[in-house]
Amino acid sequence: MKRAKFSAVLVTTILCFVFWLLITGQITALIAGKPSIQVLAAGCIVSILVAVFTARFFIHESAWYLLRPDRFFTLLLYCIVIFPIELIKANCDVAFRAFSPKLPVNPGIVKIPTEMKSEYGKSMLANSITLTPGTITMDVAEQDGKTNLYIHWINVTSTDPEKAGDAIKGTLEKWVGRIWP
Amino acid sequence: MRIVIDVLIVISLFFALAGVVGMIRMPDTFCRMQSSTNIATLGILGVLIAGILYSAVCLHDPAMAVKLAVMMVFYIITNPVGAHAIAKGAYKHGIRRVDEELACDQYGEDLEDEE
Repeated sequence: MKRAKFSAVLVTTILCFVFWLLITGQITALIAGKPSIQVLAAGCIVSILVAVFTARFFIHESAWYLLRPDRFFTLLLYCIVIFPIELIKANCDVAFRAFSPKLPVNPGIVKIPTEMKSEYGKSMLANSITLTPGTITMDVAEQDGKTNLYIHWINVTSTDPEKAGDAIKGTLEKWVGRIWP
Repeated sequence: MRIVIDVLIVISLFFALAGVVGMIRMPDTFCRMQSSTNIATLGILGVLIAGILYSAVCLHDPAMAVKLAVMMVFYIITNPVGAHAIAKGAYKHGIRRVDEELACDQYGEDLEDEE
């Protein structure tokens, strides 16, 4: 395991401290202009300690990657608009399947290729697919230099990797690809 | 505002109900997991969003709303990790459909190739 860079530690510290502010409720006190110095100091010390020990697991690539505004706002847009739309569509579909008397399911495990290169991109795509009802990512495997996702799909309409990939990933991969290539 | 909050709670209750009905009716482990994702996403998120609105607008307690939002973020990050682990573990343990075969099983084929 290689040592963490200073920038990685710094970014992890900032993130930990932001979460400390949010969870202890100090953020509202800061806005009101009367923060408690004790709580802030304790938060500083704890987040530096945590960051020193965990930065090497948390950040492997460029530390400032996500802090560039265009990527950050694409991430926000993805989390607030694009992904919830897909989520609601898939939720209605699976709820309909659960209630319909004939139980129209046709489950199977398909293998779909993905263009993602970075670790974060792969894991974010896999997590998005798992969070969408009707599809669960079972494994991520590399084969001949390509990354494949094995996905349990509740209604298999096509076993061809490309078509199944389009049906499952849909717009998700395009948007995740804009954040992490 | 109370109407919006109530509608959100009713929607999430509906999806939670759908998830439970699905969990009872679905044929095998993996399909039951699919159905439980229904509860895990809209079922939980609807209640949490309603909670955020309620604590921010009705209780005038922004600190609590922020905490609920942080809960939502952590929930979204951690839930799929557990789902991966359960699905992969169940598959490798040898759990399959009893009554009929899967429509296709490319994961099993590739695992056999490796061995």
